[in-house]
Amino acid sequence: MVRTASKNDLLPGTLDMLILQTLTRGQMHGYGIAQHIQEISEEILQVEEGSLYPALQRLLVKGWVKAEWGTSDNNRRARYYTLTSAGRKQLGIEAENFDRMVQAIARVMQTA
Amino acid sequence: MARRCEFLRKFLFLLQRKQLERDLQEEIEGHLWRKAEKNVSAGMSREAAYASARRQLGNLTRHREESRTSWGFPLLESIVQDTRYGLRVLGNAPGFATVAILTLALGIGASSAIFSITNAVLLRPLPYKDSPRLVHVWGKSARFPEFSMGMSYPDAEDLRAKARSFETVAWYRSGNLVLTGAGEPEQAPVAAVSSDFLRLFSVQPALGSGFQPDDYEMKNGRVILLGYGLWQRRFAADSSIVGRTVTFDGVPYTVTGVLPKDFSYADIDALVPLIPKAEEKTKRENWMFFTLAKMRPSVSARTAQAEADSFQAGLAQAYPKEESDSRLEVQPLLAAAVNGDTTTQLATLVGAVSFLLLIGCANVSNLILSRSVQRQREIALRAALGASRARILRQLLIESLVLALTGGVAGMALASIGIRAFRVLSPPTFSRLSEIRFEPVVALIALLVACAAGIICGLAPALHTSRADLNLALKERSAFTSLTHRFSLRSFLVVAEVSLALALLTGSALLVQSLARLMKVDTGFRTDHLLTAQIEMSPTRYASEDARRLFIQRIFEALRAEPQFRGVALANNSLLTHMTAVMSFDPELIGIHEKPTPLEAKSVSPGFFEALNIPMLAGRGFTDRDVKGSPPVVVISQSLAKRFYPAQEPLGKVFKVGTDPADAFQVVGVVADTRDIHLGQKLQPQVYFPILQDPYNGMSVMVRSGADPLTLVRLLQQRVWSVDKDQPLTHVNSMSEVIANSVAEPRFKTWLLSAFAAAGLALTLIGIYGVISYSVNQRARELGIRLALGAQSGDVLGLVLKQGLGMAVTGAGIGVLGSLALMRLLATQLYGIKPTDPLTLAGSAMLLLVVAVCASYIPARRATKADPMIALRAE
Repeated sequence: MVRTASKNDLLPGTLDMLILQTLTRGQMHGYGIAQHIQEISEEILQVEEGSLYPALQRLLVKGWVKAEWGTSDNNRRARYYTLTSAGRKQLGIEAENFDRMVQAIARVMQTA
Repeated sequence: MARRCEFLRKFLFLLQRKQLERDLQEEIEGHLWRKAEKNVSAGMSREAAYASARRQLGNLTRHREESRTSWGFPLLESIVQDTRYGLRVLGNAPGFATVAILTLALGIGASSAIFSITNAVLLRPLPYKDSPRLVHVWGKSARFPEFSMGMSYPDAEDLRAKARSFETVAWYRSGNLVLTGAGEPEQAPVAAVSSDFLRLFSVQPALGSGFQPDDYEMKNGRVILLGYGLWQRRFAADSSIVGRTVTFDGVPYTVTGVLPKDFSYADIDALVPLIPKAEEKTKRENWMFFTLAKMRPSVSARTAQAEADSFQAGLAQAYPKEESDSRLEVQPLLAAAVNGDTTTQLATLVGAVSFLLLIGCANVSNLILSRSVQRQREIALRAALGASRARILRQLLIESLVLALTGGVAGMALASIGIRAFRVLSPPTFSRLSEIRFEPVVALIALLVACAAGIICGLAPALHTSRADLNLALKERSAFTSLTHRFSLRSFLVVAEVSLALALLTGSALLVQSLARLMKVDTGFRTDHLLTAQIEMSPTRYASEDARRLFIQRIFEALRAEPQFRGVALANNSLLTHMTAVMSFDPELIGIHEKPTPLEAKSVSPGFFEALNIPMLAGRGFTDRDVKGSPPVVVISQSLAKRFYPAQEPLGKVFKVGTDPADAFQVVGVVADTRDIHLGQKLQPQVYFPILQDPYNGMSVMVRSGADPLTLVRLLQQRVWSVDKDQPLTHVNSMSEVIANSVAEPRFKTWLLSAFAAAGLALTLIGIYGVISYSVNQRARELGIRLALGAQSGDVLGLVLKQGLGMAVTGAGIGVLGSLALMRLLATQLYGIKPTDPLTLAGSAMLLLVVAVCASYIPARRATKADPMIALRAE
């Protein structure tokens, strides 16, 4: 199968980071996180919304986020995610790694 | 830390799997709903709104799967899945599963039983504290190199004082106590021990105390330490016994204590302090005190041996006359506890059982292989659906492991039964028999063997199958092309099976013939209708030679007066119990220029040769007149006469055993040779002395009966007790039982090996049958065409039989070569037959070929019934 790059392809591993970063703004439900990522990235990073959920499960298992059920603005039950302190630490590490990689890529692109 | 938390969380997740599932479902539905509502409010129709929302969410099944993966332990879960699948697959093929599991159970059960017996006997330390540090120190004399003796009292004392390798040295002399009083008189083995004996074994009496220094000087009279068994048996476990006086052999002893239940050494029933006679304290050539030592913690047996050597060299220098032709041998207690016979027997059994296990594995491999060919399409389908080769391999391996572990559990049950049976059936001379029992280690061994068997059985087929060509396999019928390749592996397994089975068969056939020949050996005397018993005279009550002579005389007369005894014979040695008295004889004394040679020497009563039907070739046997004071006489055996009185009449000649005039005897008779040590012995020159001229303190009684000898036991006891009511009779048995006991070991081994060979043969039969019927199924089309083209059913029959026979002949060829090499290892265990006996080899090979033909015949018959139309239509 031949794959062509499309605009919603993320760098591997970045989805976790994006979720963690989003949650620094406070507790949010899955739909909210997806919306936020799309709005902030001006619709460039269009995450396949379903893939958010395995990622969230992963983060739960790692203990980087916590989840609890609450009621959303339109009176429907929703699961709200909060960043834990371990998650905040992890975000720091991932953001740093990401910065380094982006700079490296940028340098390559400049010299090319 | 973080990893541990993650593991813990995963574990918690595992417990609330259903809740998680529901949460995820609701969450995703909520997401869908919000998305759709937004779309609706943006003006879409409800239907389109939902469809678009679902599209944006992507492949929900996969996301759910992925979520689940992160909750749990995916590797573990897929293994559980594979196992469950494997069980289901086995359940769908009950015939295959039953045969495979039974085969494995047989192989695993037999081998783990034998392996654990080997472990218990050869490897497990003896039940003493620090037992690896305990050693025997044997005295070895150049004159009797095959005997292990003790040390002399002064030598042992010196060793204790000087040897730095040993932290404790103790020695003992064993004897018997006669227990009288309630019930029949009983004889109990007792050891007179030096002061450190109990300390050496780190043993404290269960009741009372050990011996005090005063006890070694008889300051408080005689004392005794009772063994636990004796205390239970003879004193009803009475704990007030300590301090009381008991009488053995008419001698009073004060009981100082009772030994603990779990302590046993050489079947000893009681301990007394070793109080040496005056001359024993100084006599250095008196090597009769068995010596034990405990090595210091860091000392090896080799170091201890080196020190014992230099110790003995020092003694030889100081006392050249007494000590120069002797040496000391340090031997770990464990090595001494297991006799050489037991070791060779176990080695034979381990070899045989490994062969059986291998045959079983080959068989199960074959079964799995033929099944995996049937499952080729299923596996190809799995591969096409994306299963990796590793995953398929794992799946197949797990299936065979499931099979093997089920077989292993069944095998464990078999092993437990087998070990119990082994204890009951094996000869009592087998070392450490009482320590053999079913233990957790057996279960462990069974499971390990099962896992190994599972991997071995599963690996070859799994590798083969997982390499299968997808395209070919998926196409109907094309599996045909890769068949030849796979078939060769199956044939190879059968060939291996046949050759292993042949080795087993040859081994057991050799042992069976050896045993048969042993049982048919002519002993030279009549062994039927003969009752035997052993009489040990108490050294306190029959202390003098005259007392012993008188006792023997009175016993002989009392027995001879009984009309139901058709013949009475006394001898100082029992017959056919692997024991004899040997004397060194220097032929130069009678003018024959030969080196000194050992003679079998026996002191016998009047009527001995007549009662045992030993042919008198010349002269006379002993009579009532051959007593003390009458001229010293001997009777010699035919081979002694031929060898040392060549070309002359031996009667009336002088036979000398020394230069002293008292060592000269007149030859009054020549008798035929006998085999009376054991059935397999070589004939040796024998010399007989009159028992009344040469009384020992023990004797063997033999009486000939008209009916079953065991009916005369009571009568024999009564006659003996009429002379001395406190005289124990031991080893009361018929001679035919004695003979049966003397071949108990070879018979047991033969029986076991034959059972293994029969099982191996049965498995091989199944193996050949399986391969041939598989091949007939595969060749149905070809055979159908042949029949359609006019081949006679005989031709087809021959074709199939030839295939089975071909494998069997190849296997038998390899098996014959292998047996020629292997059976040499059996050489020492065979009697009257060579390990390379061509008839045995040919016979075993023939039997295997017959089995192979039988196994091929049924599928071959089926092949001739193949309807050509059906075979062709199936195309």
